[in-house]
Amino acid sequence: MMRKQIIPIALLLALFSSPGFAQEKKPVFSISGTMGVSYEGYGLSRSPSGWMGYQPRRPWNQVRFNFTPTMKFGANWSIPFNINFAAKPTNFAGPYSGIIKQNFSQYITNPMNNFGINPKYKWAEFQLGTQYLKYSDLSTGDIGIFGAGFDLRPNTYRIKFFTGVSQQGINYFTGPPSVTGAYKRKNWMFQLGKEKEGKYLFAFNIAKGKDVPSSSAPPPVTIKPQEGFVMSLQTEIYLNKGWYFKAEGAKSIFTKDLTTALDSSRKSLKPFIDAHTSTVNDYAAQGSIGKKSKDFDIGITTKYLGAGFQTTGYPYQQPDRLDYTVNTRFNAWQHKMNVVASIGQRVNNVSNTALKAKQFIANLNWFTQFNDKWSLNVSYNNFGFETASGINPFGIKNVSNDLGINPTVSWNTKKMNNLLSLSYNYSKYNERDVISGLTTSNNTHTALLTYVPTFFTKEASPDFSVLYFYNDVPGAKISLTTISSGLSMPAAKKKIKLRGQLQYTIGKLNSFSSNKNFIASCNVDVKLNKKLTWTNFMTTNYFKYGNEIIPNGANYLESNFRTGFQYRFDASIKK
Amino acid sequence: MKKIFLSLITILIAVSVTAQLKLDLILSSAPPAALSEWASRREVLTAIVSGQPGLPPQQFKIKSEFKTTDGTVIGTTDLARAAVYTTSAAGTGTILYAADVVPLEVMIFTGKYRSSLQKTGKLPSDNYMLCVTLVRLPDYPPSSNQVCKSFYLATTQLPILMKPYNEEALDATIAQTAITFRWTPVVPRLTEPVTYRIQVFEVLEHQTPVQALRSNQPLLDQNVVNATQYIWRPQLDLGFQGGTIPADFGAALKGKPFIWTIQSLDVHGNPVTQTDGSGEGRSEPIIFYIKMKAKEKGNR
Repeated sequence: MMRKQIIPIALLLALFSSPGFAQEKKPVFSISGTMGVSYEGYGLSRSPSGWMGYQPRRPWNQVRFNFTPTMKFGANWSIPFNINFAAKPTNFAGPYSGIIKQNFSQYITNPMNNFGINPKYKWAEFQLGTQYLKYSDLSTGDIGIFGAGFDLRPNTYRIKFFTGVSQQGINYFTGPPSVTGAYKRKNWMFQLGKEKEGKYLFAFNIAKGKDVPSSSAPPPVTIKPQEGFVMSLQTEIYLNKGWYFKAEGAKSIFTKDLTTALDSSRKSLKPFIDAHTSTVNDYAAQGSIGKKSKDFDIGITTKYLGAGFQTTGYPYQQPDRLDYTVNTRFNAWQHKMNVVASIGQRVNNVSNTALKAKQFIANLNWFTQFNDKWSLNVSYNNFGFETASGINPFGIKNVSNDLGINPTVSWNTKKMNNLLSLSYNYSKYNERDVISGLTTSNNTHTALLTYVPTFFTKEASPDFSVLYFYNDVPGAKISLTTISSGLSMPAAKKKIKLRGQLQYTIGKLNSFSSNKNFIASCNVDVKLNKKLTWTNFMTTNYFKYGNEIIPNGANYLESNFRTGFQYRFDASIKK
Repeated sequence: MKKIFLSLITILIAVSVTAQLKLDLILSSAPPAALSEWASRREVLTAIVSGQPGLPPQQFKIKSEFKTTDGTVIGTTDLARAAVYTTSAAGTGTILYAADVVPLEVMIFTGKYRSSLQKTGKLPSDNYMLCVTLVRLPDYPPSSNQVCKSFYLATTQLPILMKPYNEEALDATIAQTAITFRWTPVVPRLTEPVTYRIQVFEVLEHQTPVQALRSNQPLLDQNVVNATQYIWRPQLDLGFQGGTIPADFGAALKGKPFIWTIQSLDVHGNPVTQTDGSGEGRSEPIIFYIKMKAKEKGNR
């Protein structure tokens, strides 16, 4: 009896641990990927008792699981799993915001959990469970949907379809804690196209989402049941010598409130969507053209989103804007100099001449390696925003300018390498008051000095840094001085990786007494065997206010502990 | 006697038929830009219709006209399709709201205003007048004085996130001490203070950025009233934490990914716009990275 049990177990172990006998033979089965479980604990102690000036920012206890192996059967079948889930909901934004108790259907569609399996046979992939599918930039891509579908790629053809639920109905609750509530949303999407990777792509996309108004009781107070339909045509062409061309045009029809009356005077697109008085329809387009090569890239990108362009696939997309940007990257001076730059403009409220807002955006990053010892990085960012301000006498004008200079020097001695890096950043933020017209200037200086010695004969690797931060705005002057040091080293014949860090910061606001912050953290990663790793992370953070808040001297101690086991699949069976 | 009685009846009927109704109109001076939103927010528009005491209930329709400041009519009620209302028998006022007074499904707009409504659900930002008259059936002669109210319509534009800019890679040592966030204000500037709720979310392993935003507890969740900059002191060890974004959803790995956004709230704590985007008043989120320290880059 005992022997009967041992033989299958031994076979199973051999199956999952042996690298295989004959290397030249193709495996009939293989498995790769990872699985694991982790626990995170959080603690917060505030003083004096009853003071609530600092709020917890992590779940008190959380357990997370992940199971993401890919099984391959012969040359044609594969089954990737994407299963990640957590024990407790922690939603603070979006449809599940505030939810504490979930039913089964809410749990499996909660964005914090993935339950996805994608069996694939040759060119046919079946998509089951949670899927985050990006069809294109203008149709759908940001939301996860729990459902079923397929992705078929015979030759150069592309046929995709998926349908499911992106969120369940959630009842509104005044609280505390309040639950925003949501309507159940059903989605489907379809793509028909032709693609040859690295050569071309032509695709027609359709995506739809519709809320079920009766799915929550009481319904959300501030959220309306919606319905959206979008169709887009996209193309990508890649030519010789790195030239490329990409374009997409889209039209959306979106009902902002399904409880409003049907309206025959507005455009419907039957049988997909019926127009209500809150239905809007508009267009969007984007395009880019450019050239990429080893030492030189240049590209022009433009994107237009009409004021009424809205999709359920990108719920946070801000419409009514026109962007155009020129990007470049080049290497020079025998690859010792690298420049990345972009310049462009974004116009918001394009449809509205009275409140049209213009933004100028420019970025530059210039790195030069002068010789073996010296290098210099210079960066510059500009972001300007200007618009009228309705009935106020002056328009809004906000301009942010950042300049960064970062020289680095390294040198060797007999025993060690030394790296010294200085980073200075000047940030200026001007903001015009719309009533008085006066511009206030907000200046920030940041200086960081870092020293990293690397010993040739020792395995311990420390680092030291000093930072000074100063922000000056009318009425408030903030200064922060930080010293920090870290140490990392292997132990137990490199089976254990240790890392620790200490940081102490003194902060000061105007003439108030200074506040103090101390952070200590460490990682201990233990390699239990070739495939199993035990990871640990501990950190504690103590903050004590000066007299800038009441009660004076308030303080808190925050701690966070994470531990977990991660197993790496790597096995195969050969013929 | 019979003639006198008939005359009195005739006069009474004539008086009751032609009797003037009293109309009081209360309209917010800055209602929501999306006209369809008026119907769901009762505080936007209230009309009180009163008949003359002692007279029988009267039927009437509501003729509403949207006008520009120079008096040009840009939208009017299609009276043939408009609903019929009846004054109360007791002579008490009949209270009506935006869904009754400006029912969009029977309003006819002209030219660019019609086009704007079809595209955006809003009229172009400007000053307008709403003029309302009660009319009798069946030929729609006026049954009340015309009451006009002025209002200003402005499309509320949510903040645009400025700094850290999209996909900016921040130095871990500097970021551990302070990260400066900047955004543009709500446009147009509202008369009442706006609360900007800034939220920063850590993108965990196996998560897309928007998935992290919709599922994780934010590391920073701070209300900032009427200011467009916030200096965050993270008090976190940011130097050595993994994190990847699936290839389709982000650029090349530049460090530990975070996603941040601003939720704009009015004085009542409600989103400043409830029909745009997700309805949460959240600006389009962007990603930033915390770069690993030079030493740890080398160790990996």
